[in-house]
Amino acid sequence: MTPSETVPPLPEIPSPALEAGTPQGPFARFQASRYRRMLLLLSAVMVVMSLLGFLVNSRDPQISAPLRAGLDFRGGTSIQLELTCHDPGPCAASERLQLPVVRSVLADLRLEPAGEGQPAPDPSSFNLQLLDNGEGILLRSTALTIAQAQAIEDHLAMAESLAPLQEERTQVDTIGPSLGAQLLKSALLALTAAFLGVAIYIAIRFSPINAVLALGALVHDVVIVAGLFAWLGQVFDVEVGSLFAVALLTLAGYSVNDTVVVFDRIRETDRLQPQLSPIDRIDRSIAASLVRSLNTSITTELPILALALFSGGELRWFAIALAFGIGVGTYSSLFVAPLLLGLLKKETAPSTSSPCPALSSLP
Amino acid sequence: MVRQGWLPVILAMILAAVVLLSNQSLQLGLDLRGGHQLSARVLNPDPEAVITADDLDGVKNVIQRRIDGLGLAQTQIYAVGSDRVVVQLPTAQPPQEGDAEAEAAVDNTLQQAANQITERAVLQFGVLRPSEADRYATLAQERRDARVAVLLGQQQLEQLQRSRGNAEQLSAVREELEVAQTTFDQLEQDIGQLFDLRPLTGDDLVQVVAEPNPESQGEYYQLSLTFSSDGAQAFADLTKEVASDFNLRLAILLDGRSISEATVGREFRENGITGGGARITGAFTLERARELEVQLRGGSLPYDTEIVEQRTVGATLGADNVRRSLNAALAGLALVSGLMVVIYRLPGLVAVAALAIYALLNLAVYALVPVVLTLPGMAGLILSFGMAVDANVLIFERIREELRSGRKLYQAVEAGFERAFSSIFDGSVTTLISCVALGYLGSGLVRGFAITLGIGVGLSLFTSLICSKTLLKTSLFLYPALRKIKYFQPVQ
Repeated sequence: MTPSETVPPLPEIPSPALEAGTPQGPFARFQASRYRRMLLLLSAVMVVMSLLGFLVNSRDPQISAPLRAGLDFRGGTSIQLELTCHDPGPCAASERLQLPVVRSVLADLRLEPAGEGQPAPDPSSFNLQLLDNGEGILLRSTALTIAQAQAIEDHLAMAESLAPLQEERTQVDTIGPSLGAQLLKSALLALTAAFLGVAIYIAIRFSPINAVLALGALVHDVVIVAGLFAWLGQVFDVEVGSLFAVALLTLAGYSVNDTVVVFDRIRETDRLQPQLSPIDRIDRSIAASLVRSLNTSITTELPILALALFSGGELRWFAIALAFGIGVGTYSSLFVAPLLLGLLKKETAPSTSSPCPALSSLP
Repeated sequence: MVRQGWLPVILAMILAAVVLLSNQSLQLGLDLRGGHQLSARVLNPDPEAVITADDLDGVKNVIQRRIDGLGLAQTQIYAVGSDRVVVQLPTAQPPQEGDAEAEAAVDNTLQQAANQITERAVLQFGVLRPSEADRYATLAQERRDARVAVLLGQQQLEQLQRSRGNAEQLSAVREELEVAQTTFDQLEQDIGQLFDLRPLTGDDLVQVVAEPNPESQGEYYQLSLTFSSDGAQAFADLTKEVASDFNLRLAILLDGRSISEATVGREFRENGITGGGARITGAFTLERARELEVQLRGGSLPYDTEIVEQRTVGATLGADNVRRSLNAALAGLALVSGLMVVIYRLPGLVAVAALAIYALLNLAVYALVPVVLTLPGMAGLILSFGMAVDANVLIFERIREELRSGRKLYQAVEAGFERAFSSIFDGSVTTLISCVALGYLGSGLVRGFAITLGIGVGLSLFTSLICSKTLLKTSLFLYPALRKIKYFQPVQ
């Protein structure tokens, strides 16, 4: 936040000149810099909330990481089973699975050890979760061997106290602990490489300041979305896996894309209307980009919301992360990055009339 | 009006895409069609040494030959990262309901494949150290007892399972069987250590065949081996050595465990057994003999491997996933199309046509490359729709601006496309840069997503900058009635 903020200039009535750089239309007189303090404060609050979420999770002995890591990153086995009574209709209430019954069935099961010195996990230590009102069940445990996972499936399928299971709808995932760490590492490596590549491109096409700000906006978006999931993990036990990493990577691409479009508009206004002050030029560029950014966000959100509605499980959280992230990304590319650019320009170029930055640094 | 040189090109591309798609179906990933995926990590015995890409390729090739030897359809095997090999086994056909045999076969496939991936199958030949002859006799007797215990245990377990015996009994028998099996395994290893290895290995084999053992009336199976010429010479030397002393034995060791020890008749003292053939007559079941046959034919694995990932998706579940994401894609598309027409009117209509072409070209590229479609891939496709629409939004907003500033319709359209170009281009390039980074460095899911998103962004450059423009200008040229500014302005 700037401690000494100057009073923004009074709104100018746009001249009817046939200058394409002059915004006209619904939001033409919107001056983002008037709300700069409020907008930047909002961002700061969201970032602080996110960091707080990371901190709370890290200190939680159950999670002890900024986010609640899912199977993909932690390693383990998950087995998802569904009852057969689906096809003709929903299961009768008496047929539905009940946790105590499943637990007692599992208690009879003894798994073979994976090898010497690797005792078999105890089925009573499994984490059980009912799906679809007891028409399905999700078992989670430490990583099991194929034979062990198969034994569990067979045991549940043969149990007389449970309704028959539908083999065609079974899903088994096992991730060894070493692989989980590797997946996380490769995701982080890919993210860093993508950041660097994008920063270099923007530095070449625009300027290094733009590159820093675009990356800043991107980090802002990623931190806030991760923060939301930190709180979701804390409150609703939502876990993050590979798909969440994919969502963050997508957001990174979307956020930069959006920021570049606004920067492109600022660059054009700088060229066409050098007589305006930098703050004005940025305000006009934001106003001119506003409708486009809103329309784009809405059109991008629609298919993602459809994905959130029609899909289930992990894919739904993926869609929710994207939907929220695109909102944050649109906000940061319209307000955070350009307003900070305005602040930086104001400090580096106090004489506002010169179209050429090189001249403005002369005494 | 300028001539629209692009129109025939666009029409030709649509035609080509339709022809391509009608002849070639899209490849679906395991999460969409159902099946098993196993990832094996190569274990490095020496932390100093590095497993090179060639080493990993060697492991992959051995696994490939072995999995092919199992005779499964449409398997896919590839190396991932620096030390992993991924094996994908699609579900062939959902077995008929109630067909217990077929269901059991499907269950077995996974375990069979896992054995082929993790068992090294190093075949070695050794000669008994004369000083260990007594110890050998003791251990061999113990092993006979252990084998009987294992067979008994297996029978008991089968009986109990068939009669659905109570769980307590079942687990007691299982535990006993486990102990017997461990004892037996240990004895095989102990016996193996009584032998000195000779320079003859599985690498010297040219043919391995599993066949019924005639002496057991077809109950057990044997492996008949054929050596290369060098191997045949080594085998002759070996048998000559063993034949020279009545107490000596020739052992065949698999991964350090002795699976057969044989004496060699005195008649071979002079020349050894020549002819380059041998057979292993351990008491193999058909399944085990076939497994060994496949392993030995595929060659031994140069490293130990462990399975670090197993993913199984039921076939119906996969079909469900397809249906859901298709629904999402179609619903998203319909919503976006409606919104575009409401907001942008005539250009919006043109954009919808361009989007349809975009969807078609995307699918055609998937069939051509080919891209294996996975769930994250579908997500990438749906997201790229959003980005394709964005390009159109940028252009149409610009056209409106130009119109507001008083330009003529045609000039405004030209200028709109021209001035939106730099932002569309820069935006697409930054997205493509991330896609390339993710595609190269990301694994599995991340890569599938990056590929479809990258293809989508590349194609959207074409459809928004060329298709939309050509279609818009052509329609204005053909239908003068459309040349009205009100068709470009928001509804008042």
